[in-house]
Amino acid sequence: MENSRDYSSGVLTVVCSNLAKACEKQMRPEASSRFHALAQYFTSIAPHQDSVSLSNLTDRIASDGTSGYIELETAGKAVEDRGALRCATWGKKVTAIHKSLLGRYEKQGESLVEDTNIYVCEACGFIALAKQVPNVCPICKAPSSRFTQIK
Amino acid sequence: MHAARNVHLCTKDCLCLFVCPTGATDTETGQIDFARCIDGCRLCVDACPSHAIYLVYDRYPVKPEKDQDVVAALDALAESKVQQELICSSLGSSGELPEKLAKALALSNRILAEDCTREADFMMVQTQAVKILLRDLAADADRVGFPSEALDGLVKDFS
Repeated sequence: MENSRDYSSGVLTVVCSNLAKACEKQMRPEASSRFHALAQYFTSIAPHQDSVSLSNLTDRIASDGTSGYIELETAGKAVEDRGALRCATWGKKVTAIHKSLLGRYEKQGESLVEDTNIYVCEACGFIALAKQVPNVCPICKAPSSRFTQIK
Repeated sequence: MHAARNVHLCTKDCLCLFVCPTGATDTETGQIDFARCIDGCRLCVDACPSHAIYLVYDRYPVKPEKDQDVVAALDALAESKVQQELICSSLGSSGELPEKLAKALALSNRILAEDCTREADFMMVQTQAVKILLRDLAADADRVGFPSEALDGLVKDFS
């Protein structure tokens, strides 16, 4: 078999939580709960992010925009991997939404999230601040049933 | 191949019950009983007026191999989004961000990270990357708290 890739426990959590979802879609509830158990384990051993500030987040958002997604697009274009390019297209847009939300929060403070609901698109990660769930996701066109309301 | 029902589309016209030769479509959970469903039969799929029934495959084709540079770029982005998820959760508990906004950002980052792993060969469990992962995880199986029974089950089904 091929060589292993080197993953942090954080990435292993995400690999397993995604595979749990994929198993659900294949109607494999037992395999899904096994991947959930693995995801939980990797969450439990992931190092905690203590003493972080908003700038840690905005720095990462900026570098995803200036290098992370650029590298993905360059590599994806070179081999015409349209799936990877799709991931870059959605990811860049959602990351821009994160940046905009944090910018608005800096200006408006708590009033940004008062008198509104927050919905997240489970397909692409788009975040909507709105009274009602969007009919369709503006980024990936998933229907309203794919949105989760944050409570 | 076995039939599965999308309960959100199902309009309870019950034509699947009329055509199913084994009664697999008639269950208290609303889902189709795989144990009774006949492999590849698809009578219910074609009979359903709401297109709420579809076939789930048991075997999947081998996907074209992913380019190493693409995988490396996706892995790096997944790591960055995972870190952002952790930072958002932490900013939510410390009160630096409103709790709901922090939760939404953390979930959104999780979804972005998952999407990167999907494109990096972890789209579904029947891939070479998952086989390698399961093999590698077996080396960790004696660590404290490791769910080794879960891993054993997955290795048995998917290796």
